[in-house]
Amino acid sequence: MNAVLEAFQMVATTEVAIAILASAVYGMVIGALPGLTATMATALLVPVTFYLSPIAAIATIITSSAMAIFSGDIPGALMRIPGTPASAAYTDEAYAMTRKGQAEVALGAALWFSAIGGIVGTVALMIMAPALAEVALSFSTYEYFWLSFLGLMCATLVARSSPIKAIAAALLGLLVTCIGIENPGGVPRFTFGMTDLLGGIEPLPALVGVFAVSEIMRAMTSAPPPPIPHRPLGSILAGQWALTRRYNKQMWRGNIVGVLIGALPGAGADMAAWIAYANSKRFSKEPEKFGTGHPEGLVESGAANNSALAGGWVPATLFGIPGDTITAIAIGVLYMKGLNPGPTLFTEKASSMYALYIVFIIANILMIPLGIVMIRLSRHVLRAPRAAAMPLILLLCAVGAFAIGNNPFAVVLVAVFGVIGYVMERNGYPVAALVLGIVMGTMVEQTFVTSLIKSDGALLPFFERPVSAGLAALTIAALAWPVLVWMLRRLRRAEPAR
Amino acid sequence: MTQFTRRGALAAGALAGFAPLARPALGQARYPARPVQVIVPWGAGGGTDATARIVATLLEKEMGQPFNVVNRTGGSGVVGHSAIAQGAPDGYTIGMITVEICMMHWQGLTELKRTSYTPLALLNEDPPGVQVNASSPYQDVKALADAIKASRPGQFKASGTGQGGIWHLALAGWLGAMGLRADHVRWVPSNGAAPAMQDLAAGGVDLVTCSVPEARAIIEAGRARSLAVMAPQRNPQFPNVPTLNEALGINYSVGAWRGMAAPLNTPPAIAQALTAALQKVWNSDEFKTFMNARGFGMTWGDAAGFAAHMERTDANLGAAMRAAGLARG
Amino acid sequence: MHLSDRVTGLFLVVLGALAFWGGSLLPAVPGQDVGPAAFPMVIGGGLVLCGALIALGIGRSFEAPEAADDAPPPGLAARIGGWAAFLPPALLIFYVLVSERLGFLPTAALMLLATARALGASWRLAAGVALLAPLAVHLAFAKLLRVPLPDGVLPAPW
Repeated sequence: MNAVLEAFQMVATTEVAIAILASAVYGMVIGALPGLTATMATALLVPVTFYLSPIAAIATIITSSAMAIFSGDIPGALMRIPGTPASAAYTDEAYAMTRKGQAEVALGAALWFSAIGGIVGTVALMIMAPALAEVALSFSTYEYFWLSFLGLMCATLVARSSPIKAIAAALLGLLVTCIGIENPGGVPRFTFGMTDLLGGIEPLPALVGVFAVSEIMRAMTSAPPPPIPHRPLGSILAGQWALTRRYNKQMWRGNIVGVLIGALPGAGADMAAWIAYANSKRFSKEPEKFGTGHPEGLVESGAANNSALAGGWVPATLFGIPGDTITAIAIGVLYMKGLNPGPTLFTEKASSMYALYIVFIIANILMIPLGIVMIRLSRHVLRAPRAAAMPLILLLCAVGAFAIGNNPFAVVLVAVFGVIGYVMERNGYPVAALVLGIVMGTMVEQTFVTSLIKSDGALLPFFERPVSAGLAALTIAALAWPVLVWMLRRLRRAEPAR
Repeated sequence: MTQFTRRGALAAGALAGFAPLARPALGQARYPARPVQVIVPWGAGGGTDATARIVATLLEKEMGQPFNVVNRTGGSGVVGHSAIAQGAPDGYTIGMITVEICMMHWQGLTELKRTSYTPLALLNEDPPGVQVNASSPYQDVKALADAIKASRPGQFKASGTGQGGIWHLALAGWLGAMGLRADHVRWVPSNGAAPAMQDLAAGGVDLVTCSVPEARAIIEAGRARSLAVMAPQRNPQFPNVPTLNEALGINYSVGAWRGMAAPLNTPPAIAQALTAALQKVWNSDEFKTFMNARGFGMTWGDAAGFAAHMERTDANLGAAMRAAGLARG
Repeated sequence: MHLSDRVTGLFLVVLGALAFWGGSLLPAVPGQDVGPAAFPMVIGGGLVLCGALIALGIGRSFEAPEAADDAPPPGLAARIGGWAAFLPPALLIFYVLVSERLGFLPTAALMLLATARALGASWRLAAGVALLAPLAVHLAFAKLLRVPLPDGVLPAPW
């Protein structure tokens, strides 16, 4: 109990308060700019943390990353420019809601369920970190293979299209991940002698291309949509309360999936969001509404996304294994401030650890008022005439893609993927499946090949280890399920004819 | 070398002392007169990025102009490394180069090599260690080495980086020094040291040859043990871990290093001013605190020392890559 | 750019075959049973299969019919039809090619002017966007966030 009191004292200083407020505003703004990611927002803070006390330093990282992850959803919902591969899972849904004139509901849901997901993830971190860490450490490449394969299978679920076209689109995404030298063999593949292709195709420029540029391309040949009906704003939060009650089960399922997958280093928020969205559709009573601007999937994947972020701190604080690029930076700062990751952090430095939890909770609560201000401000974007907004979005795509690695080649990628996305959508190929292939591809191949190296070519270990066997059964069931449903439906349809 | 350094000091002194006086005549301001771009060939958030950002912050304090870190990613480091080499040689584009510059050209990935730069200073080197799972039967590196020698080829599995990465070459070089073939222990490519250490803890591989600081958290969590470091001296932060030379009488060392470099043909006066400033940065308390906290090895080399260091690394890694069948051409 | 399923399906078959062939040329890696060739070959095979099924029209029944557009398209599309869609990616390539020499501000202004006019904006609106937006974007990205946008012939006033 003393440690908790001490923790409150550590947080309740002017320095920490200023650090939290300043980094919150900073994270909100950076995240809302397309192309500037939460990772970049955090990395830019590292030299600043050098001059801060340990708790203030960690507080800036936690706060700015949480804010940037949420505000990364804003360009996603308003302009169809996803901020991260994780928010790409629900970008289309949120954008569809915006076009229906429900931008506030979509962004409000992203905000509200992000905050709840963050808090639930923190509580899970507080009470279950050691247990979760054991699970994470028992995951070897065999388990990761099944997990990434499961993630990939969501492709047929996230799309509103023919399953064959969805699979073809996912395969196309996998083919994209073959490009470059970052494969288990370390052999340059499909680089055609171009240096820029050596490192492979980064997901973010590809996402900006298939979502945002293809949308601008579509605008070029279609008449401007009727102006979005102007609705009285009303309270953003009141609507969310109704959604929370209505989709309570979905929210909790998303939170649990998020915490579990987030605690697995390397899987993280991306996979959590996609799997949660697919889950939501599979178990929904109204799956036909998905993709048309229906908040259900948004609730579940938005919650999963942010609880995964907190979950990512489990392996980071216990073993120094980063769950994603943000926790990788955070680990560096922890070391710099003498809070070395490890089990001793939870025992000898317990008060610092409690202080960290408190900061997490404060950041997620602070997110709500700041987020509401941000949503109200960004709503003005929607009032601009299309002929003025679309050109600006195009420019932001170019500058944002360039800013990721200061490499002009990323802008070329945005253009190429814009064309690919446009042609695919016009012909009924779901781009979400392509994106999923790009996000998961490297992991599927890496884990499969390294598992085979370790087992000397034997397939048995894929089914032998207990967790691995469970995941394998789940995968096979998920594979067999749609076929079964299809056959049943066929039979039923055939009956009346008799 | 003494002469070189002394001349360097004189020139730097001359630059510092006379440049303001010479300004009206030459129309040239004292260096640096405007912000300097520091190119990092790796992404935001990694160890190289963090080091570069600290160095840039301290250089800014030292030289009175902003030093802006710019991550030029892509092409597995090739893009950023070539951006440094192709920058204007006027002292306003410098960058942090890493050990990969002595590896990539052997693989035929790029024409760039150590001689494409004006070396400024070597700032850090991390030697590889030999890590095993905490429940592994091998208590010291001698027992492990004997078991490896007695095993059939491919029986032992090791990890730490991707295929042909620096820690793969460390293993290949160590095996070669023991008189074994480079692929006697099978390499399991991984996406960096952290996933490899996780797989070690999960029982997926037998040993990991990443640097000790990278393995530190898992070691401190009691899930893994470090048996040896492949370096001339022990690491002051891990004084109980012996060197390979002490344990096995093998004098083999290769490490991952980071240093600052400028484009080729950067004026010597500017290069020397930067080297002098970097030396002050390297000796500063802030830098020492940062490096020690992160567990990064502090190794200093001035321009000539860095050049010699790169030459040695280049030859060593070239030999290891040929032995492992990774070199092309 | 609406193509028939036969065309897109056949394209996927060709692409898959190329991936399979390109993958099969990759060298084996010592110490790896499943080399870098396997993954592209499996994907290539899968693409050939999917492409063939699509070309044959299997699975068509699952697709939602595309919403029909009756309203007349704006600006450029009224003159050159569907090809207008390819203006944005072309402008992105234009940006990559000339921004280094011309500088960020003029390149961005040209891009914005072209897109706005093609979308049917009046000259006044298009010129306003082209003049103001590049300055705002430059301020946010280059000045505040230190993204190195090229100066070219017209450096920013700050």
